[in-house]
Amino acid sequence: MAETTVTIHLNQQQKDLLDRTVAAGVAPDRIALIRLALRRYGELHAEKG
Amino acid sequence: MRTLIEEFVLEPGTGKALELRKGQILRLEQIEGGQCLDFNCFNLDDYKEFFHCGRTRTLHGIHPTRGDFLWSAPPRERAMMYILADTAGANDVMFPRCSANLYESVYGYDAHTNCQDIQAEAQREYGLTPDDVHDSFNLFMCTGVDENGRTYITRQVSKPGDHVELLALMDVLAVPNICGADVMRTSNFAIRPAKVQIFAASDEDFAAVPPLRSWRTQRTVADFKVKAIRTERKLARDPDYRPEFVNTPIDYEAIEIALDAEELALLGRLARREQYGDRDGEALRDIVFSWWEETRPIG
Ligand SMILES: [Zn+2]
Repeated sequence: MAETTVTIHLNQQQKDLLDRTVAAGVAPDRIALIRLALRRYGELHAEKG
Repeated sequence: MRTLIEEFVLEPGTGKALELRKGQILRLEQIEGGQCLDFNCFNLDDYKEFFHCGRTRTLHGIHPTRGDFLWSAPPRERAMMYILADTAGANDVMFPRCSANLYESVYGYDAHTNCQDIQAEAQREYGLTPDDVHDSFNLFMCTGVDENGRTYITRQVSKPGDHVELLALMDVLAVPNICGADVMRTSNFAIRPAKVQIFAASDEDFAAVPPLRSWRTQRTVADFKVKAIRTERKLARDPDYRPEFVNTPIDYEAIEIALDAEELALLGRLARREQYGDRDGEALRDIVFSWWEETRPIG
């Protein structure tokens, strides 16, 4: 599948929160967590039909 | 069963500093109805920890009532008291205490009863200065915010027998006073007495308090770099000062995220373009932390 790269800038505090979320088992790594967050946020804010 | 420890009438124009031990209840009751009372409290063992309207407002909104806590100011941020009862349901944490200057600047008084000076006079019994008076928990005070975002005060609704009960969760110096406003609508254009009682709480009272978590960030003087309370009024620079701001410098790392077509379409739909324009990275960061805030996946 075609992939596009988006560059996200995170500071040490933001990375810390994501890394603690990863450590709690929510996603396998930081990048996977960011992709998961995007998908979950999409589900939370689904388009109204 | 509650045990009555002390009871008296707080007269118009006055206030009283009361030592309340942890587990004691301060009950403030309307006699005639319609009377606003202002309230301050301090940690009895460290007066620098005191009730903070801002912290309380953030957690409980602008009209704290039964079931809410009175919180101390940052960096302490502990629950000092718990509101066990509130029969009128009209309390305020937006308005500052009324002051002598208000009555001079608006009404031309040389002297007029006012909450700042009444609080200061009551607190003087414990060696506190007028500067130690802080914004009060305003009991029996009807306030709101209009459609333009301006705060307003309107007339009182409390009736004889209406009361607020505050349970001390630590030893406190509790200072209620009768609001000095009689030329404003706050207390329906009069100043009236109020009944004050102190009780030892019953098991039922304690059972009503929701469990509280404690946090490392509820700081104590032991955490402070400067522990001594200043006595000199004039400020002078410490030549040995070196800044020790937490987590500084703030450094950003660029992280590449490969998104598949579906994810990219999702980003396209969810991106707050009015905020970020075509800056996809910032839009994605907003989504990630908005998701975290909304769902709190850990903690
Ligand atoms: Zn007042």
